[in-house]
Amino acid sequence: MYLQILLLIAFIGAFLTYLLGKISSKVRDIFAVFISFVLLGLTAFLYSNFSESIFYLGFFNLPLILRIDMLSWLFAITIAAIGTFSIIFSLSYIKGKERTDFYYLMMLLVNAGMLGIVLSGDLISFYIFWEIMSWSAFLLISYNRGPALAAGMKYIIMSIIGSVTMLIGILSIYTNYGTLTISEIAPLVASASPGYILFILIFFFITFGIKNAVLPFHTWLPPAHSEAPSPFSAVLSGILVRMGMYGFLVIFYVILGLKPFLNLGHGLLSFNYILAWIGVINIVIPTFIAMLQNDSKRLLAWHGVGQGGYMILGIALGTNLGVAGGIFHIFNHTSYIALLFLVVGAVEYRTNGMRDLNSLGGLIKKMPITFIGALVGVCGLIGVPLTNGFVSKWLIYKTLILEGSPFLAFGALIGTWGTILSLYKFIHNMFLGQLPERYKDIKKAPFSMQLPILILSFVILLFGILPGIPLRIINAIGTSFGLEPLNVNIWGIASETGALNTVNIFFAILIASIIVWMLLRMGKKSIPVSQKDSYAAGAYIPKEKYHYTVEFYNPFYRMAKPYLRDFIDVFYSIIVKAGRKFSGMVRKVYSGDLGYYVIYILLFLAILIIIKMGLVLW
Amino acid sequence: MVIKVLEIIAAVIIALVIGIFFLGLFRKIMARIQWRYGPPIIQPLLDIFKLFHQKGFSHGIIFNLGIILSLAASIVLILFIPIGGLSSLETSGGLFVILYIMLFKPLGIALSGGEGANPNISIGISRRLILSLGYEVPLLLILISVMTYYKTISIVEIVNAQSNFQWSLFSPLFLSGLTYLMILPAILEIRPFDIASAPQEISSGPAVEYSGRYLALYHIEHAFSLFISIAIFVDLFLGGGANPFYFLLKMLVVFVLGVFIHAVFPRFRTEQAIRYLWRWPVILAVAGLIIILVIKARYG
Repeated sequence: MYLQILLLIAFIGAFLTYLLGKISSKVRDIFAVFISFVLLGLTAFLYSNFSESIFYLGFFNLPLILRIDMLSWLFAITIAAIGTFSIIFSLSYIKGKERTDFYYLMMLLVNAGMLGIVLSGDLISFYIFWEIMSWSAFLLISYNRGPALAAGMKYIIMSIIGSVTMLIGILSIYTNYGTLTISEIAPLVASASPGYILFILIFFFITFGIKNAVLPFHTWLPPAHSEAPSPFSAVLSGILVRMGMYGFLVIFYVILGLKPFLNLGHGLLSFNYILAWIGVINIVIPTFIAMLQNDSKRLLAWHGVGQGGYMILGIALGTNLGVAGGIFHIFNHTSYIALLFLVVGAVEYRTNGMRDLNSLGGLIKKMPITFIGALVGVCGLIGVPLTNGFVSKWLIYKTLILEGSPFLAFGALIGTWGTILSLYKFIHNMFLGQLPERYKDIKKAPFSMQLPILILSFVILLFGILPGIPLRIINAIGTSFGLEPLNVNIWGIASETGALNTVNIFFAILIASIIVWMLLRMGKKSIPVSQKDSYAAGAYIPKEKYHYTVEFYNPFYRMAKPYLRDFIDVFYSIIVKAGRKFSGMVRKVYSGDLGYYVIYILLFLAILIIIKMGLVLW
Repeated sequence: MVIKVLEIIAAVIIALVIGIFFLGLFRKIMARIQWRYGPPIIQPLLDIFKLFHQKGFSHGIIFNLGIILSLAASIVLILFIPIGGLSSLETSGGLFVILYIMLFKPLGIALSGGEGANPNISIGISRRLILSLGYEVPLLLILISVMTYYKTISIVEIVNAQSNFQWSLFSPLFLSGLTYLMILPAILEIRPFDIASAPQEISSGPAVEYSGRYLALYHIEHAFSLFISIAIFVDLFLGGGANPFYFLLKMLVVFVLGVFIHAVFPRFRTEQAIRYLWRWPVILAVAGLIIILVIKARYG
C-alpha cells in the first residue's frame, strides 16, 4: 500500500505543480521543493520496510506489482535526493525563462518515472515507467530548442530502439513462461538453455546499454548532456543514465542469478569476461576523447560514458569486491557528476550561458563556493583518496589484480590519467588562470545554487573518509545476490590480501598538512600580489591579448587528434546519410503526380496478368 | 603506539635528509662531469634556510594550499613505502593508494600554479601532465606485473617476498625492472625528460612564481619526490633492505645512475618524450607482463 501512495504522490505532485504554476510561480516553486522533500522523506522511511504487493490485476491477466528491496531502496533514495537537489538548484537557474511550469512538470515526472522503475516488481510496469522516463527526458533534453532539438531527436531515436528490443525480450519471456513477475521468472530463466539466456540477455543488453551509453550505443549522450538545462544534466548523467545499470543488475543478478551469469560460455569467450572488456573499452576511449573537448558540459558528458565503464567492469566480474565496487561506483558517480554539472550550471548562470572552456578563467575569486564544489567533484571523479570515487575504484582494481586480469586492470588504471588531464583542464580553464575582462563584475552564485553544491561536496568527502556507511548497504545487496559478504568496517575494508583504511589516510594527510602549514608559517611572511604581477623571464606580455588556457595540451593534441575521434558516431552518420539518400530515391518514385500513380497501377496489373497467363508473353 | 610515532618521524626525517643530500650530490656530480668544482654538498640545505628568510610573493589561497597539499602528500607517501623495515601505514590500502597519493603532487603544484596565471606556468603544467600520462602507461604495466607476480597489492608483502636476495630484478620480472630503469628519468624529471621545468625555455615552468618560503617548500617537495621515486624502485625490484642502511646504499647506486643519464643527454621535445615513452618501454613492459602471465599459468 505504501509504495502505491509514494508513486501516487510523485505523479500527482508533478501535475499539481504544473497547475499551481498557472496560478503563481512562487507557490509552484515552493510546492515543487515540498514534493521532492516529501518523496525524499518517504523513501528514506522505507529503509528496511521491504515488501512486495500487487497494485493492479487486470492487465491481460497479468498482475502489476510494486516491490522494494535493498537494491531498489538504494536507487530510490538516490533518485529522490538528486531530484531534490536539482529542483532546489532549478529555482534560480530556470527563473525568468519561458515554459517554466512545463519544465517543473517534466523534472518531477522524470523523477516519478525513475522511482516507478526501481519500485516495479514485474516487467510490464517496468516497461511502462521506463517509457515515461524516456519520453519526459526527451522533452527536457530538447527544452532549449535550437541544437537541443537535434540532440533530443538523436536520444529519442536510440531510446526507441532500446524500448523495442526490451519489448521483444519481454514478449519472448511471456510466451515462454506465461508470467512477467520478476520473482517468478527468476527460477524459470535460470534453468533455461544457455542459448535462450543469451538471446534474452542480448536484447536487454541493447536496451540498458543504450540508456547506460555503453560503447557503441553511446552517441546520443554527449550532445544530450551538453544541450539539456544544467540541473537536468545533473539528473540525466547522475541517475537517469544509471537506470541502465539498475537494469543490468536486475537482469544479471536478480533474474538470472550469479551462477548462471558466470557460467555462460567459458574461458575467454564467457559472457561476463566479454562484458568486462566492454567495460574497459568504455573506460579508455571516452576518457581520452574527453581530453579534446572544449565545451565544459560535453567534457563531463564524455566522462559520464567513461565512468560507466567502471561500473560495468565491476559488476561483470561477479566477485564480491567487484560487484560492491561496481554498485558503489554508481552512487559515487551520481554524487560527483551531479555536483560537477551543477557547478557548470552555476557558472553558466552567471556568465550568460558560457560553456566554452577557452573563454572562461579566473572565476575562483568571484565564485569561491562554486570552486570548492568543482574541486571536490573533480577529485571525486579522478578518484583521489579521501573521496568516495577512490574507494569504489580501489575495490575494482583490487579484485582485478587478485583475479589475475592484469590487462583489464591496466585499462581501468590508465583511464585515471585521461581523467586527470581533462579534468585539470576543466578546473583550470574555468576557475584558475586569468579572469577575462568581461567577467570582472561577476557575482557569486545564489544561495539556492550553493546549497546543493555544498551538500554534494560534503557527501563525497564523507563517504570517502567513512566508506563503511554506504558499503554496509551495498554489502547487504551483494549478499542478497549470493555473494560472499565483505568484511566491512566503518573505515573501509579489512582483508588479508591488503586492507583499505581511509581514516588512517585521512589523519595522515591532515597531520602532514598541518605540519607543512606550520612550516610555511615559520618562514618570512609573503606579500600578496595580483595575478598580473608575474615574472615572465624579462619578456613583455600584453595582459589583455593572450589567454593562457587556450589549447592547453597542444603538444598532445597534435599527436592524438587523428586517433581520438568518435568513429562510431561517424559510422552512424554515414548510415543516416545513406538512409536519407535511399529515402530520396524512394521519394522520386512517389512523386505525388497522379499520372505516375496511374501508370504504376497499370504496370502492376499488366504484371499480374502476365503471371496469370503463366509467364507467356505471346 | 610511541614506537609507531617514532617510526613515522624517523622515516620522514630519513627521507628528508637523504632527499636533500641527493640534491646536493646531484649538483656535485654534475659539476665534476663538467670539470667544475661545484658547490658544497650541503648547499641545497643552506638554500632552503635562506629562502625561508626571504620575502616571497603569494597569488592567493589556492596558490598556498596547492603547495601545502603537494608537500603533505609527499610526506604521507613516505609512510606507505617501506624504508628498510620502516613502514608505518602498510595496512592502509597498498600499492593502489601509493599510486593515487602520488597524484596529489602534480595536482597540488598544478592547482597552485594555475592561480599564478603565468604563461610559463601554464606551459609547464601542461607539459608536466602530458609527461605523466607518458610515463604512467609503462609504469602501470610494470606495477601490475609486479602485483600479478606476487599476487598481492601490499608493497610490504612484495618486499618480504624478495628477502634472501631473491630480487625481482633477477626473477621473471627482469624485463619489468629494466623498463622501470628506462622510465626512471621521466619519473624523476631529469634530462632527457626535464621538459616541464626546462629552465632555459620556460624558466622552471610551474616553479616560476614561487619565491621565498614557497620556493623553499617546493625544494623540500622536490627532495621528497626524488627519494620516493627511487625508493619505490628499490622496494619493488631490489628487494628493499633488511635495515635502512642497505636500503639507502641501493638507493644511492640507482640515483648515481640517474645522474649519469642526466649528464649526457639533451632535452627531448614533448612529442619526442611521449613517443619514446609509449614505444620501447611499453613494448618491453607488455612483454614482461605476458611472460609473468605465462609463468603464472604454467607453474601456478
